Amino acid sequence: MPHGSVIPAIILIFSLFILQLCIASVASAGGGGNGINVWPKPRIMSWTTQPRANLLSPSFAISSPKHFYLSSAANRYLKLIKNEHHQPLVTPSLINITTSSSSALHTLFITVESLLTPLQHGVNETYTLSIPADASIANLTAHTVWGAMRGLETFSQLVWGKPNLLVASGLYVWDSPLFAHRGLILDTSRNYYGVDDILRTIKTMSFNKMNVFHWHITDSHSFPLVLPSEPDLAAKGSYGHDMQYSPDDVKKIVEFGLTHGVRVLPEIDSPGHTGSWAEAYPEIVTCANKFWWPAESNWTNRLASEPGTGHLNPLNPKTYKILKNVINDIVNLFPEAFYHAGADEIIPGCWKADSTIQSFLSNGGTLSQLLEKFVGSTLPYIVFFNRTVVYWEDVLLDDNVNVRPSFLPKEHTILQTWNNGPNNTKRIVDAGYRAIVSSSEFYYLDCGHGDFLGNDSQYDQLQPSSSANNGGSWCGPFKTWQTIYDYDITYGLSEEEAKMVIGGEVALWSEQADPKVLDVRLWPRTSAMAETLWSGNRDEETGIKRYAQATDRLNEWRYRMVSRGVGAEPIQPLWCLRNPGMCNTAH
Amino acid sequence: MVRSHTSISNVVALIFFLVLLIIPSVQSTTATTIDVWPKPRLLRWAPLHQLSLLSPSFTIASPYDHPHLSSAVSRYLTLIKTEHHLPSSVNNPLTATSSPPPPPSPPLQSLHIFIHRLHAPLHHGVNESYTLHVPNDRPTANLTAETPWGAMRGLETFSQLVWGRPSRVPVGVYVWDDPIFPHRGLLLDTSRNYYGVGDIMRTIYAMSANKMNVFHWHITDSPSFPLNLPSEPGLAAKGSYGDDMQYSPDDVKKIVEFGLDHGVRVIPEIDSPGHTGSWAEAYPEIVTCANMFWWPAESKGEDKLAAEPGTGQLNPLNPKTYQVFKNVISDVVKMFPEPFFHAGADEVTPGCWKTDPTIQSFLSNGGSLSQVLEKFVNETFPYIVSLNRTVIYWEDVLLDGVVKVDSSILDPKYTILQTWNNGPNNTKKIVDAGYRAIVSSADYYYLDCGHGGFLGNDSQYDQLVGSDTVSNGGSWCAPFKTWQTIYNYDITYGLSEEKATLVLGGEVALWSEQADPTVLDSRLWPRASAMAEALWSGNRDETGKKRYAEATDRLNEWRHRMVSRGIGAEPIQPLWCVRNPGMCNAVHASI
Repeated sequence: MPHGSVIPAIILIFSLFILQLCIASVASAGGGGNGINVWPKPRIMSWTTQPRANLLSPSFAISSPKHFYLSSAANRYLKLIKNEHHQPLVTPSLINITTSSSSALHTLFITVESLLTPLQHGVNETYTLSIPADASIANLTAHTVWGAMRGLETFSQLVWGKPNLLVASGLYVWDSPLFAHRGLILDTSRNYYGVDDILRTIKTMSFNKMNVFHWHITDSHSFPLVLPSEPDLAAKGSYGHDMQYSPDDVKKIVEFGLTHGVRVLPEIDSPGHTGSWAEAYPEIVTCANKFWWPAESNWTNRLASEPGTGHLNPLNPKTYKILKNVINDIVNLFPEAFYHAGADEIIPGCWKADSTIQSFLSNGGTLSQLLEKFVGSTLPYIVFFNRTVVYWEDVLLDDNVNVRPSFLPKEHTILQTWNNGPNNTKRIVDAGYRAIVSSSEFYYLDCGHGDFLGNDSQYDQLQPSSSANNGGSWCGPFKTWQTIYDYDITYGLSEEEAKMVIGGEVALWSEQADPKVLDVRLWPRTSAMAETLWSGNRDEETGIKRYAQATDRLNEWRYRMVSRGVGAEPIQPLWCLRNPGMCNTAH
Repeated sequence: MVRSHTSISNVVALIFFLVLLIIPSVQSTTATTIDVWPKPRLLRWAPLHQLSLLSPSFTIASPYDHPHLSSAVSRYLTLIKTEHHLPSSVNNPLTATSSPPPPPSPPLQSLHIFIHRLHAPLHHGVNESYTLHVPNDRPTANLTAETPWGAMRGLETFSQLVWGRPSRVPVGVYVWDDPIFPHRGLLLDTSRNYYGVGDIMRTIYAMSANKMNVFHWHITDSPSFPLNLPSEPGLAAKGSYGDDMQYSPDDVKKIVEFGLDHGVRVIPEIDSPGHTGSWAEAYPEIVTCANMFWWPAESKGEDKLAAEPGTGQLNPLNPKTYQVFKNVISDVVKMFPEPFFHAGADEVTPGCWKTDPTIQSFLSNGGSLSQVLEKFVNETFPYIVSLNRTVIYWEDVLLDGVVKVDSSILDPKYTILQTWNNGPNNTKKIVDAGYRAIVSSADYYYLDCGHGGFLGNDSQYDQLVGSDTVSNGGSWCAPFKTWQTIYNYDITYGLSEEKATLVLGGEVALWSEQADPTVLDSRLWPRASAMAEALWSGNRDETGKKRYAEATDRLNEWRHRMVSRGIGAEPIQPLWCVRNPGMCNAVHASI
């Protein structure tokens, strides 16, 4: 929908006028209470007049600059806005409704300063949205098309009503995320998810203004990705022909991500977590298909951190031949400038099972030297393709097997933290690296649903052991939305150190998840992180944590997600929404 | 559970047999059994482990004129002919090779049903035993049962024996089966959040697939009153969440009939005198403390007005209470043929009654709260019994620390108590007092636990490391009850053999503070299946050893089969574990 030619100048003047109004405005909007609810809460959202709503014209249109992805997003949002007919569970109050159809809102006019800025880490996602009272045109202004998409989402959440559509008006929004990296990890190796499950997840991420889909594609259990140069990896290592991702599937997912402002960041975990590679190339994988923790042996002698054994062998030249083919294909399939190379949970027992590694070690070599050899042979290759390499924190912080910082050039390396709550994030940024936070104590969405190990004798007691007691998984208990919402990912860091934290990712590891539970495990808990990383978990003015009012807003948002086709789990009885405040605790 | 030595070795796998047949080089030391969930009491498969194809014209011959049995027969015939279940295990030849050789025996043509007591009603304690014989020397299988309800259990078992495309069935199979506990139930709370009729029917359907027989419908509570009653239409009209969130008499009829078609009783619960806040929308005068904040700031725990948000208790001192209540009971009894009626009586909260002036003066004249409850029970219990109903109450009515009745007013002949606190201890107290018990221990059988608290404004999360409640999953009954926790619980733990006979069975419970249709299936299944097997055939093998180890693979397979039958059960393991039997086990005492 290209711009008309006369309108822009008027718009500019009009925008300035609105800006004037905003400076004078006092009422802050969207804080719950009046039923106008945008999730994640915008940084600034204020009424320029008394809170009111205007009719949305039946001929409402979105005027967007021509851009392959933004135009697609504008069309999508136009459909959503016209068809959603959201009915808030709490009817918006304090709202004067302008019912004169002559002043109905008929156009949302989008202005983008820099149409060519690509979707990459740190891209400007700021937007301003002004919906004047009793005027027929609203304005969305952004630096980039990606910011415009965020503004479209906000606008869509301001529309409700049936049969007539209403839109909050007399409203000004300025918005910009606190953290540049707001992601979600999905593990598609332990259990498989269809392409549609992934697309639905990306779509829901965009509803929540999240921007990174971290795709943990491969692991020891299955290798679902079909790679043109190494087709056998999936042919032999996937769960079956119907449980693979073809290059066309990947293309579809990447493109879908772009139309939703979501980067798709691939992870090929290595050298650990590679048991599935052994189906095609047994010679490059140590300890493959062994029982993970033999009876009568100590934990230190386990072969893997969980069932599904296998590490790439750094001493076998063929390892690099295969891995480089894999990397090559990945960078061709994924335009994303970050490449996640894994490197978590190197288990000494697995490498020690290999005879060439045994002789390397008996000649005075160490396991850490092995890992350094692996990283030294692969990181430069990945960097050569203009990729920034993301590794799990283990590569630097593991107690037994780690590399020296000199192997990890800071300008090309980002480390993702998951252990020890805020402590490891501090260690990483203190070492001078950028960090992505996925603390398992706060952000692991799979925890607390019991363990997946068979033959677990700890349950054969009337009172189960402590691990069964906290929900029976290593990272139990279940992370509630409140736990996630209240976590501060820069806790304990100086202002300077905090700048090194580029954001966070919730994670769904799939030992006990598959398409049947995908939506309920992810939503609305992921929405909790989405708001905390977008606009924070504190009231902007008082600095007080805003979990209290967030409950009602998240509840309302959950229902809206459900009506948009996302199977998010309920957080309260409906009664609580209908009786605001009555389900609070005052203790 | 008597099983001869020979029969143990007979229960070597269908799958194992075929692996040897088709890919002889595969070594397998962990052959699975014929997977029927819950595991039958006795299942023998003649040593040759033969399979037959199921004839394309396969039929189920049932000469009986019985509407519910006929409905079950046609339903199972369709399922058996169209399911084409493919076991997940890679050891299965169907996934190992595309064209398995034809099975050796002639195709099975029919299953014949024989029933001794066709008119036995679906009541508590009805005989559900059956024998199923699928011979290897003729194309006709026989299913013999005392009652139509036992025949339905046998049909379920037969349906689980059939698999593959084309369909095949193991022959030379003999099954004798009979539940250990007669009451195997599931409680669903449709007041805190609403579930559609389709959700309830899907749940009943999944229960029958697990040979469960009691749908305990916790219909009403303080948050909403969704049941539309002909004599008291105002209760739902004003107390439900809305016109689109009610159950009409026709809905109830549909659900009750659907239950009968599936061998599942539908027990209604009208919780009272507590948990009745929603009644106040129509009758504010009969409800004390309605619509008040549940636990005022600065007040102590004992001054709470309700156990959780949503206040309101029927006022036993107001005669109108009984007028409305009896209309309700009268309607419910007409709508539900089930001879058990659940009358609630849990969590009577002193603070709520104390807000009422008439109760205040009763108390200041030397009356006690327990006397108030006794008045309520005395006015209602005989009325329910007079309608030929056995009354189930929650244990609280006898065991509550503050407000309880004297056991003399609850005749054990007409009273059953449902236990939920203190693990096995309260069950022991109840049966020691001479009452029959249904076990729903919150420590083991509450399926909602461990998903966080639903209270708003919860400041305990405003700390980097949460408090104890937060650290075990943030709900009062946390942690999450894993399938293993449920499977291993012995509901008669600590009871003498004689006292154990007073335990009728158990019920898993889904309270709906944080559940609604989007999570229904994944909260219920396959964890309810774990209880279903423990109550049907036990959680131990013939040597008396707990069988959770082999149960993992079977439950995993059963979960996949339930999913393919349209039940959104949650996964318990990576697919890799099913494909690599034994490799995901623990062999260490603790992890």
